[in-house]
Amino acid sequence: MNSEVKSFDGQLKSAGETQPLFYEAKRIWDRRPDEQPYALLSDCESKKQNRYGVKIDLLDLSNGAAPQNRSMYINENPAVGDNPNRNKQHGFHFTADNCIGCHACEAACSEKNGNPAHISFRSVGYVEGGTYPDYKRMNISMACNHCDDPVCLKGCPTRAYTKHAEYGAVLQDPDTCFGCGYCTWVCPYNAPQLDPIQGQVSKCNMCVDRLEVGMKPACVSACLGNALNFGVIENVPENREQILTQIPGFPDPSITQPNIRFQQIKSMPNEVTRTDSMPVKYHKGEDGQFKPVVDQKKGKATHWNFKRLSSRENPLVIFTLASQAAIGAFVALFLAPWLGLSSIAAFESSAAFIPMLITLFVLQSWGLFLSTMHLGKPMRFYRGFNNLRYSPVSREGLGIAAFMAGLGGFTFFKLVNLWLEWPLVDVLAQLAGGFAVIAAMGGLWYMHKSYRIKARPFWNHWQVITTFFGTCFSLGALVLAAFLVPVALLNDGDIAGLVRVLGAMAFIGLAAEGFGLYRHARYLNTNNGEGGASHYVQCTTFGKTYALRNGLLAAGALLALVLALAPVNAIAAVSGLALLGLMTLCALVIGRALFYVLVIPTTMPGAFFWKNKGFEEHARDIGLANMPQVGVVPHLH
Amino acid sequence: MLFGRRNRKPIKILDKQVKEWKYTTCGYCSTGCSIEVGLDENGRAVGTRGVAGADVNRGKLCIKGIFEHELFEIPGRGTTPIMRDKPYLPWQSTNWDTALDKTASEIKRIQQQYGRDAFAIVSTGQIMTEEFYTLGKLTRGCIGTNNYDGNTTLCMASAVSGYTRSFGSDGPPGCYEDFEHTECMIAWGSNLPEQHPVIYWRLKEALEKRKFPLIVVDPRVTMFAQFADIHLPITPGTDVVLQNALIHVILKEGLEDRAYINAHTKGIEAVEACVKDYDPTTAARICGIDEDTIRHVARLYAKAKSAMSIWTMGINQSTHGSDGVVGINNLNLVTGNIGKPGGTSLSITGQCNAMGTREWSGCSGLPGYRKLEKPKHRAEIAKFWGIDESFFPEKRGMFMTDIFPAIETGQIKGLWLIATNPMTSMPNTPRIRKTLEKLEFLVVQDAYQDVEANQYAHMYFPAAVWAEKTGCFTNTERRVNLIRPVVKPYAESKPDFWIFTEMAKRFPNGQKIKFPETPSEAFEEMKILSKGEGRTLDISGMSHDLIEKARGIQWPYREGMEGGKGEPRLYTDGVFQTDDGKANLIPLPFIDNNEKPCDDYPFWLNSGRVVEHFHTRTRTGKIGNCNKFSPTPYMEMNPDAAAELGIEHQTYVRLVSRRGDAVVMVQLTQRVPRNMVFIPFHFHDCVNRLTLGLLDPYSRQPAFKQCSVRIEHVDQAQAAKLNAERRAF
Repeated sequence: MNSEVKSFDGQLKSAGETQPLFYEAKRIWDRRPDEQPYALLSDCESKKQNRYGVKIDLLDLSNGAAPQNRSMYINENPAVGDNPNRNKQHGFHFTADNCIGCHACEAACSEKNGNPAHISFRSVGYVEGGTYPDYKRMNISMACNHCDDPVCLKGCPTRAYTKHAEYGAVLQDPDTCFGCGYCTWVCPYNAPQLDPIQGQVSKCNMCVDRLEVGMKPACVSACLGNALNFGVIENVPENREQILTQIPGFPDPSITQPNIRFQQIKSMPNEVTRTDSMPVKYHKGEDGQFKPVVDQKKGKATHWNFKRLSSRENPLVIFTLASQAAIGAFVALFLAPWLGLSSIAAFESSAAFIPMLITLFVLQSWGLFLSTMHLGKPMRFYRGFNNLRYSPVSREGLGIAAFMAGLGGFTFFKLVNLWLEWPLVDVLAQLAGGFAVIAAMGGLWYMHKSYRIKARPFWNHWQVITTFFGTCFSLGALVLAAFLVPVALLNDGDIAGLVRVLGAMAFIGLAAEGFGLYRHARYLNTNNGEGGASHYVQCTTFGKTYALRNGLLAAGALLALVLALAPVNAIAAVSGLALLGLMTLCALVIGRALFYVLVIPTTMPGAFFWKNKGFEEHARDIGLANMPQVGVVPHLH
Repeated sequence: MLFGRRNRKPIKILDKQVKEWKYTTCGYCSTGCSIEVGLDENGRAVGTRGVAGADVNRGKLCIKGIFEHELFEIPGRGTTPIMRDKPYLPWQSTNWDTALDKTASEIKRIQQQYGRDAFAIVSTGQIMTEEFYTLGKLTRGCIGTNNYDGNTTLCMASAVSGYTRSFGSDGPPGCYEDFEHTECMIAWGSNLPEQHPVIYWRLKEALEKRKFPLIVVDPRVTMFAQFADIHLPITPGTDVVLQNALIHVILKEGLEDRAYINAHTKGIEAVEACVKDYDPTTAARICGIDEDTIRHVARLYAKAKSAMSIWTMGINQSTHGSDGVVGINNLNLVTGNIGKPGGTSLSITGQCNAMGTREWSGCSGLPGYRKLEKPKHRAEIAKFWGIDESFFPEKRGMFMTDIFPAIETGQIKGLWLIATNPMTSMPNTPRIRKTLEKLEFLVVQDAYQDVEANQYAHMYFPAAVWAEKTGCFTNTERRVNLIRPVVKPYAESKPDFWIFTEMAKRFPNGQKIKFPETPSEAFEEMKILSKGEGRTLDISGMSHDLIEKARGIQWPYREGMEGGKGEPRLYTDGVFQTDDGKANLIPLPFIDNNEKPCDDYPFWLNSGRVVEHFHTRTRTGKIGNCNKFSPTPYMEMNPDAAAELGIEHQTYVRLVSRRGDAVVMVQLTQRVPRNMVFIPFHFHDCVNRLTLGLLDPYSRQPAFKQCSVRIEHVDQAQAAKLNAERRAF
């Protein structure tokens, strides 16, 4: 670089005279001698703790566990930054009144991080309202908020995330990530970016390399509207007067205690809308805060949209249903003798018993295999148990794996028992079976916990319990029926008793699920936020499909009840069970597919093209997405 | 470490391993940002950053500049010259010698057969000043056609014309630093945050230091309009009425600067007589701004110690574009706001070097703001180049917008397009297609072989792009800045400078005129031509090295000036470039000739820019991180109007005008009034299939922003298919 710089009074000066050089031999970041004030961190003082009572000094917060002047080893560089505030929690400040939506922040970020068009650590969307010419658009630029309570870190099963005592940065290591995308589910701000091509997540790194040499992040330094700023959290930037925690379109900060503050003084219309396809708008409440409400963008017409039931999460539809079916069938089989369900218990002596156990094992393996293949990097599947301390996904995985081990053990010992009728073998079988039952219950519980996500209000309801456990009963009963009824027919067994028990079991499952869904719908009808929006989509875009599922579920429950209570002859019972099986399978597959496609996260508003699900879908449908510069990943086959 | 983690995960942040940063100037718009391109050890361009110590951008860049290093390697670059006998035949690769020989012989053939002016040249605002000067030498001095113009006729011609009519010469008299001094600013038809975001940032910085009233005149509620203290949502095409009304109030209330008017202007009587007809009550009915607001704005502007106006295409691209510029100048002359800090008429230019072509290409005359109409100027240049004075025509020939109709009717048979894409940029695409079909010989010289105009070409010259070359750009505030070559020209592509120089050798006068070997030698020639008593466009104190050192120098920068800082303002002494040194106050009676909404075509069609794209998308349409923000054309439409017609958000509609039709995706927003739609102009086969483009009588600039359309339903599947088909990039 030229050694002379020109100051704005037009005089040529030597650079060395005006500014000292900050960097060391191996610079963490190439800080130029003439960087402008807007690009430099300038916090002099900071508060002791933030508004949530969390200490801002992170050495303090770590209770001495984190040493001072520790190197961050950015790209294995042992240099230690000279930023005097490096152990304080930092955060972005966004003056919403000023953002012009010029994309400079997003561009600077993507340029620095080398991101392809379909990935962006920072995105600008907007809300708008009013009537011409009294019209207001408010652009919102949003990246990672490096939260006090990083739900991504807690949710990640691989422990790819670290919250650092330096700057409080929540950083993610793509080399650890196996691409399950769970962090993208739990984050309310859509900060982690799952790249379906790379098969892994990456995210905002707070530009800690720039911070180490006293410079603000690239996005902030690039801002052309003087909207984005950065510094020690709870500090009011120069020329600003507010440090709000919310603006219209921003999710409830109580979910994660995000380290972002806002200024938004200019008055906004009482209602602002989103230009993207999400059926959500924001209405000003009595407290002056904007709350999400349903925006009936597509009217009230109901549709089937069967094709749209298929999503990226199809493997999870199969995984959850298969797991629940296998667990339900096995637990019933295992507990039947204790519960006095002789019609089921009798099956153990049949030649189909071991094949059935193997079938359950295969069913569970198939589900697990699909869910593993659904990972961005399936070969890293073993990392799924790395975060048992926090992640429900890790625990779910462990539970299911342990269930399979127990089931395998049980099967093995039962098989051994066929030849060696040692009491010890049977005890071992019972121990393995008991272990499988306990593991399965744990796995199921955490499977449910994995969906109780605050940033996904449609899921965050207790009906997930009734549905998941209900499915164990209903699908479990049907799996049992598939083996037990033919065997009973061949052996002249207690068909009537068996049908009564299986009918009752199916009824319990379907009724529980139905009751949960009924209460869920009631809750969604009164919930105005993203949950309500999901329900709106459920009742319109998928309205007919939704009605079909509900009808099937109700009819199935009724039929199961009839089978459980009314004395019917064998032919009627078998055909009744077959019909029940068909109806239940349809209802549950549709229901589970809906469960995944309907969820609307609390994410930030998108723009007309960028971060607009509706446009992304359209671009894929018409082939526009095949051009990489469109920034939409095409259908991956 | 927090959350009980003993082991931190390693931190990997992309390190581009930049070995060298090379200084250059952004090649998109005319803001004139200094930019550094980072090269890795293989010499590959891997990054960009704004030059922190450059006065214009102070380290900032907009989205386009941030990804500018990607444009060297994007798809569609031309690799070798290609030629064909007829546009329907397949292309054949050839070498430069053959290509240049063939082109020179075709030019000569057409000129011999149909006359010297039957071959036309339309250039650009995108190449370097030294290249413009060389092209001017080639065209004016060697080829000798008078039908030579730049695509600046589509963007800045009205500013040129208006400046010349008012001040006697082109050249924006103000600078960005005026934001730091002004006490009131009106932005006329300028969406600064979207079109020139870095200039907007300079304004924002000034406003945060010291608030002053900002008034935005725009029929759309742009972000700029939203941030204005007063937004004037004017009826399209009526700016002159508002200007006359403002002057009416100022004169009536005695708020004018009489001393300045008397000392430095002439023609106040005619203006006084004219504006009598534009009292605020009458004007309000035409321009849609209520009379109280007109009076308020007039008083605010006139009473401010210094007040300035900026404008862009909202003024220039209309049937009274030149008048609109004169109107702004009238307003500033009447209030004494020219040539003083914070008081100016500052046209915000479009292309990176629109100023360079205006100054040095000679497309509207002769180099250095010289006019063909002035015998003295013809003599000066002829002598300097060493050719016969009579070789020059005595009057400028056709404008770009007259050249195409002349092709249509057969007066012009051959055309050389240089870095311009009329297939997307000209109004009335159907007519342009029909026109280009008729050419006997079309040469397209462009960095991108997939530029749509190539569909009708007989010869294609692959040009080097931006920082593959050396040379200067002049920005909006007359700052000359330097482009250093960052990488080698792509494949067999050549700098435009080389192409012009080589072409000159194939003409008799090319043997007489000296064509310098390098751009910096050409710059030295221009310096000699820029000297002269009373000349404003004087660059004689500059050199390429000094320009780089100073990160751009404003002209005039005369021989002997020091410190790398030119004159920030023109006309500070109140002496103008007219014969008597006085500025002209010109009456502007309003003629309402626009195609306005009617029963058959009930919507105004407005067009404009989006921040992520540049011009016809030959560059930004291929850079994903720009293009993704608008990968396909769209139309802003008022939701109330849409509800009436049963049109839904994010569906396709068909627009029909008296020229043709277009299919476009609807974005419903209250940003536009109920009787207007807005479509970004960047997309091929979209808005300009509809536009009328009535010509301004002075500047011959088309009125892109005023015509009328109707909106029809269209089969969604068919429309989607068509939309995808029309997006080659």
